[in-house]
Amino acid sequence: MVGLGAVGARSARLLVSAYGFTGLTVLSRRPERLSGSLELLGEPGAVRAERLTHSRFEACLSRAGVVLLATPAPGRHWASAALAAGVAVVSVNDDPAEVRSLLGLAEGANRAGVAMAVGAGMAPGLSCLMGAWLVRRMGRVDELHVATLGTGGPACARRRHAALREPAEERRRGAWTRRPPGSGRELVWFPADVGGADCYRVSRPDPLLLGRAFPGLQTVTTRAAASRRDRMTSWLPMLRRPHPEGALGAVRLEARGESGGLAEALILGAAGRPAVLAGTVAATTAAWAAQGRLEPTAGGLAELVGDPAGFLAELIGRGVVLQEFEGTTPAPTW
Amino acid sequence: MAGSEGASGRRSPLALVGRALVAVGFTGLVALFVRLRGTGGTPSHRGGWRQLSVQDLAAPPPEGRAAEPTGA
Repeated sequence: MVGLGAVGARSARLLVSAYGFTGLTVLSRRPERLSGSLELLGEPGAVRAERLTHSRFEACLSRAGVVLLATPAPGRHWASAALAAGVAVVSVNDDPAEVRSLLGLAEGANRAGVAMAVGAGMAPGLSCLMGAWLVRRMGRVDELHVATLGTGGPACARRRHAALREPAEERRRGAWTRRPPGSGRELVWFPADVGGADCYRVSRPDPLLLGRAFPGLQTVTTRAAASRRDRMTSWLPMLRRPHPEGALGAVRLEARGESGGLAEALILGAAGRPAVLAGTVAATTAAWAAQGRLEPTAGGLAELVGDPAGFLAELIGRGVVLQEFEGTTPAPTW
Repeated sequence: MAGSEGASGRRSPLALVGRALVAVGFTGLVALFVRLRGTGGTPSHRGGWRQLSVQDLAAPPPEGRAAEPTGA
């Protein structure tokens, strides 16, 4: 593993305790700061922290089944080295530029015959899996709309801050468009305890990954809940340090299409701490990648997971509560 | 408000307060107009969230739905 933040720690704990990974090595630029976190990850010595250097990374690759990149820093260099060594890679980074960069390693993944899973967190990640399941379930899907609320660790909060000021790229009526950040207010109802929140366009890679997986989709958008202060201060540096970990959050995916000649909309959602949701998805993706259960190419989870129902069922087994909205909701303007 | 100016041409404090109150009042009226004119409010929303089980995920699509995605 590279990085041990809020998401990485959750992934590491699950990989050791639930998936029986042994000899898990966490590579970090400052391993001395991880001693407290390592104590919480199981038996002493179950997880080892080492300084991230090229030589240490290469040495770890020789006995690794999968590399999990749980860091906000660019990971193309490490991913490229792992693929060259024939080791699968999973990245949780949700920066569109980083996602594009990692998708460019598809040839290396194909050549090595291993998966390069990109955006394996809450959104993208869980959102892509819910989209893949809904697309298989519905007769015809034209639109997918992702909405999120909350953040994981500090890196996630910083990324969301940046996402609110960068132009949002989305697919609309079959064409890619760039929309102003923070525009397109929409009241979104999240699962049970979370309730409704105003959501705005943000720069996230969900449309890119879902659009790649399902090229026939006409419209794919992504929004995030934000307060007035979030939007007004998005162009400034963060005014205060982000919290160590965000509180209750949620992800929601709405699929619109047709069934039996009638318009139909299905909505899935999941609520919980974003770092926990993202960490569970990342750990399960890493386990599936190590077992060779992902398509041997580069892509998002909607592209790489051939059995989204099986993957989501495994997430339920790991404590993720998936919910489906039943009722009527006003047609959104998106 | 020429009458509120003294011989030296300076406005009295009372006149300035009056002008400020008028400005605040006018701003409030405009804000009220914009708020009331908007079509906002909480849209109607009926229903609730149902927790999905593993069986729900594995169940075949309801009749009339294609087994293969056409979004792909």
